[in-house]
Amino acid sequence: MEYVNPLTGFRIDGRRPNELRQIKGELGVVANADGSALFEMGNTRVIVAVYGPREVQNKSQQNNNQALVRCEYSMANFSTGDRTRRQKGDRRSTEISLVIRQTMEASILTHLMPRSQIDIFVQVLQADGGTRSACINAATLALADAGIPMRDIVTSCTAGYLCSTPLLDLNYVEDSAGGPDVTVGILSKMDKVTLLQMDAKLPMDIFENVMQLAIEGCKAIANYIREVLLENTKQLESRRGG
Amino acid sequence: MVGLSEGEKHFIRGGIAQDLRSDGRKRLQFRSISVETGVIPQANGSARVRLGATDVIASIKAELGKPSILRPDKGKVSIFVDCSPTAAPMFEGRGGEELSNDLSVALQRCLLGGTSGAGAGIDLSSLIIVDGKVCWDLYIDGLVISSDGNLLDALAAAIKVALSNTGIPKVSVLGASSDEQPDVDVSDEEFLQFDTSGVPVIVTLTKVGRHYIVDATSEEESQMSSAISVSVNRRGQICGLTKRGGAGLDPSVVLDMISVANSVSQQLITVLDSEIAAAEASEE
Repeated sequence: MEYVNPLTGFRIDGRRPNELRQIKGELGVVANADGSALFEMGNTRVIVAVYGPREVQNKSQQNNNQALVRCEYSMANFSTGDRTRRQKGDRRSTEISLVIRQTMEASILTHLMPRSQIDIFVQVLQADGGTRSACINAATLALADAGIPMRDIVTSCTAGYLCSTPLLDLNYVEDSAGGPDVTVGILSKMDKVTLLQMDAKLPMDIFENVMQLAIEGCKAIANYIREVLLENTKQLESRRGG
Repeated sequence: MVGLSEGEKHFIRGGIAQDLRSDGRKRLQFRSISVETGVIPQANGSARVRLGATDVIASIKAELGKPSILRPDKGKVSIFVDCSPTAAPMFEGRGGEELSNDLSVALQRCLLGGTSGAGAGIDLSSLIIVDGKVCWDLYIDGLVISSDGNLLDALAAAIKVALSNTGIPKVSVLGASSDEQPDVDVSDEEFLQFDTSGVPVIVTLTKVGRHYIVDATSEEESQMSSAISVSVNRRGQICGLTKRGGAGLDPSVVLDMISVANSVSQQLITVLDSEIAAAEASEE
């Protein structure tokens, strides 16, 4: 299958190899939560709700020096093309929950909130490739909406390598093509990588190119997230009458 | 939800007794409903309903299947509700399972009729393709994103709107072998709109003190003694009934609540129908 058209250079959805899908972020979608956000990357739609900092529910896990960060990832029954009844706690969900938790924990200033817990609940409404990245981007927005202090904005993006071309932001069809899939998460201003995952195989020099491409994608998403947060702050300020 | 103090509980009960609830509504007044259709493009039909801070999504997927032996002339419908942990921290892991099961069963009772399939709000015979061999299996999935009381009504409304948005692909039957599964050709182009005139809505009446309220918020629900959920269709027929809550109710009170629910439901059906029409108009 031709994932990249050799004549025009367009991918199957009409994008160029280094083009992100259309992204959209919205704050405050779940009224009851302390912070919440909706993030869309193309057809992938994810809602994240943050509850916290609040009292630790399981006292045995309480940490006297820093906040406890917990994360749960769940996919809706209708999120993928074929409708499947998902079991809570299956291995993929547990793994992604762990990945998101570790990535966000690296950025949250947990030492400012000892003996408390912060819950990050991720709900995937539609999955079309790059779900893990969309979840991390949405979690950043939700944590900011909740006013939880963070070191930096964490963003994530995927990149792959098909038809001898590095491709940015794979959708589901490109992801299932069997080529490599590199997921990168960075702390944007500090320019540090906090998440790096890859499956399949890639020669080392090509891997560097693909990873660089993913990092560029992350930085573009970080700029967009910064704009969304700025816009939100302006609205809050005008509502306060400032 | 944060616990309520004695003063707050007294305030809620007193307000209901005086027909002036905490958010200014009257006892039999719904919160403002906002409806969006087609929120899940890869499903056959979908809808998102917001009732105040309660936010639910319903999605409908149709797949080809075999009808059950007991009812060879009817398609199959299954309803599952999932309470997402985003709605409340206590829904994480398997915490939301009990509530999800409760809601699924209540919706099945109200929309799918009895075990024989009689009296179903959804016309199952319209889902049959070849008697005894091929039928449509409808999977109705509800997802609660944000919860502020009255989940059952919101889910039933979302399912009704999603059904009106559902397009079942046209199927042409090829090959007329008597024993094996006939081949069917599912069209990608043509769709049949689902007929939702018989689909009921659910109105939950919550009894607080000596009065009943419609569309309770989660604070008001915490003060309830009992609640009755009545499913009514456009013709004013009752399609299902569920009573929740430990307090006993006098039979005359139950009948009164049912008749109140009946009258309120006609208003709700009108509001929903106009929202559906508005959504369809904006789609074109």
